[in-house]
Amino acid sequence: MAAVASCGSGAGSTGSAVATASKSNVTSFQRRGPRASGTNDSGPRLVSIAGTRPSVRNGQLLVSTGLPALDQLLGGGLAIGTVLLIEEDKYNIYSPLLFKCFLAEGIVNGHTLLVASAKEDPANILQELPAPLLDDNSKKEFDEDVYNHKTPESNIKMKIAWRYQLLPKMEIGPVSSRFGHYYDASKRIPQELIEASNWHGFFLPEKISSTLKVEPCSLTPGYIKLLQFIQNIISEEGFDGSNPQKKQRNVLRIGIQNLGSPLWGDDICCAENGSNSHSLTKFLYVLRGLLRTSLSACIITMPTHLIQNKAIIARVTNLSDIVIGLESFIGSERETNPLYKDYHGLIHIRQIPRLNNLICDESDVKDLAFKLKRKLFTIERLHLPPDLSDTVSRSSKQDLAESTKRLGPGCGMMAGGKKHLDF
Amino acid sequence: GRELGMLDSLLSLGGLVLLWDSVEWEGRSLLKALVKKSALCGEQVHILGCEVSEEEFREGFDSDINNRLVYHDFFRDPLNWSKTEEALPGGPLGALRAICKRTDPGPVTIALDSLSWLLLHLPCTTLCQALHAVSHQDSCPGDSSPVGKVSVLGLLHEELHGPGPVGALSSLAQTEVTLGGTKGQASAHILCRRPRQRPTDQTQWFSILPDFSLDLQEGPSVESQPCSDPHIPPVDPTTHLTFNLHLSKKEREARDSLILPFQFSSEKQQALLRPRPGQATSHIFYEPDAYDDLDQEDPDDDLDI
Repeated sequence: MAAVASCGSGAGSTGSAVATASKSNVTSFQRRGPRASGTNDSGPRLVSIAGTRPSVRNGQLLVSTGLPALDQLLGGGLAIGTVLLIEEDKYNIYSPLLFKCFLAEGIVNGHTLLVASAKEDPANILQELPAPLLDDNSKKEFDEDVYNHKTPESNIKMKIAWRYQLLPKMEIGPVSSRFGHYYDASKRIPQELIEASNWHGFFLPEKISSTLKVEPCSLTPGYIKLLQFIQNIISEEGFDGSNPQKKQRNVLRIGIQNLGSPLWGDDICCAENGSNSHSLTKFLYVLRGLLRTSLSACIITMPTHLIQNKAIIARVTNLSDIVIGLESFIGSERETNPLYKDYHGLIHIRQIPRLNNLICDESDVKDLAFKLKRKLFTIERLHLPPDLSDTVSRSSKQDLAESTKRLGPGCGMMAGGKKHLDF
Repeated sequence: GRELGMLDSLLSLGGLVLLWDSVEWEGRSLLKALVKKSALCGEQVHILGCEVSEEEFREGFDSDINNRLVYHDFFRDPLNWSKTEEALPGGPLGALRAICKRTDPGPVTIALDSLSWLLLHLPCTTLCQALHAVSHQDSCPGDSSPVGKVSVLGLLHEELHGPGPVGALSSLAQTEVTLGGTKGQASAHILCRRPRQRPTDQTQWFSILPDFSLDLQEGPSVESQPCSDPHIPPVDPTTHLTFNLHLSKKEREARDSLILPFQFSSEKQQALLRPRPGQATSHIFYEPDAYDDLDQEDPDDDLDI
């Protein structure tokens, strides 16, 4: 009967034929067709934004920091919505490089950038970004650098300790995937890449007039302006989902340089108990709130070696998600130590977050050193000899001598310095 | 040669130059010597005088140098109580900004006498921001800057300040000169921080002549760390040893070809699989004594299993 009906309709619409066919269907299972556009009742869809990937540990969406070795140490990358704080080295030579690699990674992946600085014009910072090493060239460059680095002794196969040859090596080879890229520190990024990218700059001296009356509020005016700027960009460009008709979602990469230095109007580097000692911590708190509700990731470099009050450093560490400290050997006695002769400094990973997780993804390698080769910035494991008791006591004697020299003729308040000695 | 020129070329690098002096080694004479040098080079020189009077600062300069100096006096009336026409609006910082605004093309040197005075009277952050703005006027890269290069020379007394302001100013400065010396000879330790390069430092011995010109010297005979007595040659501990520390070539080859016990190589495999060539390579000699029972029967034969 149904067949007669369908024959009778002849050149009827296929819709009616399908309807009659489905009514006589035995099973109630229906094949779910692919949805054209996302509706509210569709299943969970993975957000696929260029340059991001979900973490294998906890499913967080990760972006690359610009240095694949650093990504590996942080458990895959920087999670979206988190803050990466870099404690600058003493002469501020290596931390700008990490900052620029982060921004360059954003440009290569097509993310939107927001660069804030009180020292340099953001346009100048962008001009100085390192050039990416693209897939064909990267393997050649990498191998050439590795070959130059290897000394003849290391080529001898291990004979007695032959089991150690089976251990995995620390350095990873060039990855020709879309997640992490290598950068050439000696070349500048091509101009057309910068022009094709979408970026916003915040240069403090332009935004704040010099005769601004400082109101007795809790945040330094520079910080207030920066937070307003970030919030405007996030809501205008829809990073927090407030613009639902935006088809292509993107990630906002925020970079803030030298936060906490006197050029931002903050006096934590100048005095131990300044008038606005909570300004920076409040800024970080509000910033993290903004980041958590939007698709953005932030890198901040901070001159923590200048901060006088150690309690502020501890609070800042707690308010950030990932904290990495750079310690360069320039000017210290380690420069001439033969142990460190191949490296330019140490990297200390001070904190890794626990995001939706009970444990954090820390690597078992704690002694890390970096070096800036002619083109590449590499992070390697440092093999330290056992710490003998002589050297331990000698370094503590040096600290004491240093602190007594600092006390000098100054009065108690000015001579706070490194050690808080109570009289 | 090149090293002697570092103190000379301090101001040609531009930016903020800090001159740290102390009670033993005063810095105002070096400041005046550098001011005189840049005035003689034809640069515009502005002095912000806060610590000593104008007469005292100008003392020792001859008249043509004095005519080239533009002196802003903040010593006589620092709080502007007299409210006269000459009072400069905005205090020392206002004067700094005004200097920058009306800069004609050409290098400018601003000498702050002293920056310590400014640091004690003004908030540190405001001062840092003003100094950064002044010394980075020509911050466009690759631009030969129609506005001249600005050098700011600040005299600082290191005992007056705690580590906070010292660190903050040091991080802003392009060059830091610390005065010291031994045995009546003054030295300047110059630390040069270029933006993306390693800092370089150098020690230069000098003296200031009565007319405030700079006399660079080689320094006293014993300059760096005392080295060991050259008459005694360094002792080589590897001589006269009772054991051998080095390997000859043959020994090295023999060592390299040695097969280690835990390595399973093909030779070892063959050696284990090969049947033994002769069994009777060892004998056992036994002498029975009185208590031995040499019974050839097998004691297990009695068992009935």
